[in-house]
Amino acid sequence: MNEIGRRDTQWPLYEVFMQEKAERPFQSVGAVHAADAEMAILNARTVFVRRPACHTLWVVPHSAILMRTSEELADDEEDDADTGEPQRYQIFQKTSQRRAMVYVGHVGEITAVSPQHALRQAIDTFGSSEDVFVWWVVPNAAITSTDDDDIDSLFAPAYDKIYRQPSAYRTFTAIRKAKHSSNQ
Amino acid sequence: MELQTKHALAAQLLAMADDEILLAHRDSEWTGHAPILEEDIALANLAQDELGHASVWYGLLHELTGEDANQLVFFRDPTAYYNIQMVELPNGDWAFTLMRQYLFDVAEMLRLTALTESNYQPLANAAAKVRREELYHVRHSSAWVRRLGLGTDESHRRTQKALTTLWPFALQMFVPLPEEPALVASHILPDADQLKQQWLDVVLPFLHQAGLQVPDTLEPIATSRQQHSKYLAPLLQEMQEVARQDPGAEW
Amino acid sequence: MDKTLTHEEQLAEFEARIARGEKIEPGDWMPAEYRRQLIRMISQHAHSEVVGMLPEGAWITRAPNLRRKMVLISKVQDEGGHGQYLYHAAESLGISREEMLDALLAGRAKYSSIFNYPTLNWADIGVIGWLVDGAAIKNQTMLAQASYGPYSRAMVRICAEETFHHKQGKEMVIQYAQGTPFQRQMVQDSINRWWWPTLMMFGPHDSDSPNSAVLIKWGIKTKTNDELRQEFINEMVTDLTAVNLTLPDPDLHFDEASGNWITGPIDWDEFWRVVKGDGPCNAERLAARQEAHENGRWVRAAMEAFAARPERVMA
Repeated sequence: MNEIGRRDTQWPLYEVFMQEKAERPFQSVGAVHAADAEMAILNARTVFVRRPACHTLWVVPHSAILMRTSEELADDEEDDADTGEPQRYQIFQKTSQRRAMVYVGHVGEITAVSPQHALRQAIDTFGSSEDVFVWWVVPNAAITSTDDDDIDSLFAPAYDKIYRQPSAYRTFTAIRKAKHSSNQ
Repeated sequence: MELQTKHALAAQLLAMADDEILLAHRDSEWTGHAPILEEDIALANLAQDELGHASVWYGLLHELTGEDANQLVFFRDPTAYYNIQMVELPNGDWAFTLMRQYLFDVAEMLRLTALTESNYQPLANAAAKVRREELYHVRHSSAWVRRLGLGTDESHRRTQKALTTLWPFALQMFVPLPEEPALVASHILPDADQLKQQWLDVVLPFLHQAGLQVPDTLEPIATSRQQHSKYLAPLLQEMQEVARQDPGAEW
Repeated sequence: MDKTLTHEEQLAEFEARIARGEKIEPGDWMPAEYRRQLIRMISQHAHSEVVGMLPEGAWITRAPNLRRKMVLISKVQDEGGHGQYLYHAAESLGISREEMLDALLAGRAKYSSIFNYPTLNWADIGVIGWLVDGAAIKNQTMLAQASYGPYSRAMVRICAEETFHHKQGKEMVIQYAQGTPFQRQMVQDSINRWWWPTLMMFGPHDSDSPNSAVLIKWGIKTKTNDELRQEFINEMVTDLTAVNLTLPDPDLHFDEASGNWITGPIDWDEFWRVVKGDGPCNAERLAARQEAHENGRWVRAAMEAFAARPERVMA
């Protein structure tokens, strides 16, 4: 419990993936700072589920994810150290340049001996890199997930907070009425 | 419903609502001042939830007696408030706030669980709904207390101090209201002693595992909800300031 | 990007990507100046959200009814959330949240000057929602188009959430403007104090805005300060006068030729005074942030110590 010399930090960064409804793909919605994965789940809920809808959250240490843009791939000089034990990886892509509030979305799973190996397989399996602007490779071992028992306590209450919806305020009618009466 | 039962139930609902509104007030004071941005957001969430729970209990009270929630909250004097003293206390440090929250959350979760079986159906329905987010509260506050208890020497010292101070205040949660036995007999409310035992069964081992020592006393700080600390009057003065500037106005 | 290219060729390719409407993502090549401008803008924007929690947060405990209290807590909570999104967008450019907070707490970083004005009555909460958030939304709607992916995405999320902030404020102002004499006086007083500082939120005139040209060229901004300010003035003057509120500007008039409402001169001396740290609340805001940070130091340390406990590292 030595406190001397410890640097004050904002805690490590965890990437947050949200599945809005059952069966829908997970999407990257942002990140939270947290000292450990259990707190990261609670922080992810706090930060990203103030409004509906959410079915499942994943948090993953930022440092555990291999992230590559298509521009970086074109310039790839990475060493292939394909000597690890086979592991499962979740593959995410960004495939659109449209305005959006989410970044990469989930496309599938790969078994591979390293993240780089998983990425090469993913490129073969899930489309050419020209259609994909960004790839993320997330090792299963690094994922902490909510489960179905959490839905009621973590995500369902957001539906009752109707004061967060713009439709809870009738400003349009109020202004129209005011304009109408001031014109008379 | 018999008049006596109705009167007793109204007192109980008022007690529950007043506890929640004051806890919401204290939690909301952290907004913008928490140790890290993620917790500013978390405490504001707790404050909304506690405020929402208060509104649920005031709402049931309104159905029962016709009393208006905003009148009760903003135009009642401190002597008429019916809360426990624990929720009046200033926030202190982060350890104090989270320890209070933990002790309160576990009791509330157990009470709500029991109330889902209440013979008074509106109360049972409301309890089932409120209980959902209370499970999250317990998860959040227990995660914090455990970490603070086991974190550093300083966090342990602060958390222990908070527990020692708060313990007799927390025990007031289980002092039955004078009107309560009739409600317990008609299965509208759970028995306070049983609730206290359930609570002790949860918090004692948990606090022990967090490296904390629970004080020996089982004496609550007060036995009547009409006794208040010196902190309630200034709290209410602040809370009611704007509403009382123009009492007839719609805000 | 091909590393054998010259800087000029890289820059040309980068600008071509922006011209095609592509988003620049973390990891992509970008000019150092683009990165510098984004870190400056996004961190200032994040600080503004976090400091912006203070003037409104001060009224949560005094909100005059349960509904307004609930709405205000959730609004200030959103502002914390927006700060959180924005710090993360800046982090993706290679600066840490620690570094950004250090700059804020040391008084080196800027944030929106509007939050250095005091909130003096309850109606300020409504006026901040309608005017201040309304001005902010103009800017944010534009920034949702920004060429940098993380900034754009944060802005899309923020805009979606801000709509209710704006509407709850508008609802309050309209209601109080038609309410009791006490409420009418309160809301007019509030408009009188916030009108000019809100117009200053759009920043200096285009002729005095040194960063504007490069920000527009690289698709970070798509409209100038004066364009956004004029749009805002035109909308607000119409709505505020409809509910019988007056604006503290004797020179305000409608210009038939341009179809614009024209205001009197903005007091830029006041603007620069507040920007440079001499506004009514600069010291108070900074002190509040510093105090929260210092009081939280042992908490942050405790959480890290717990995470590093041997039995957890093993697991």
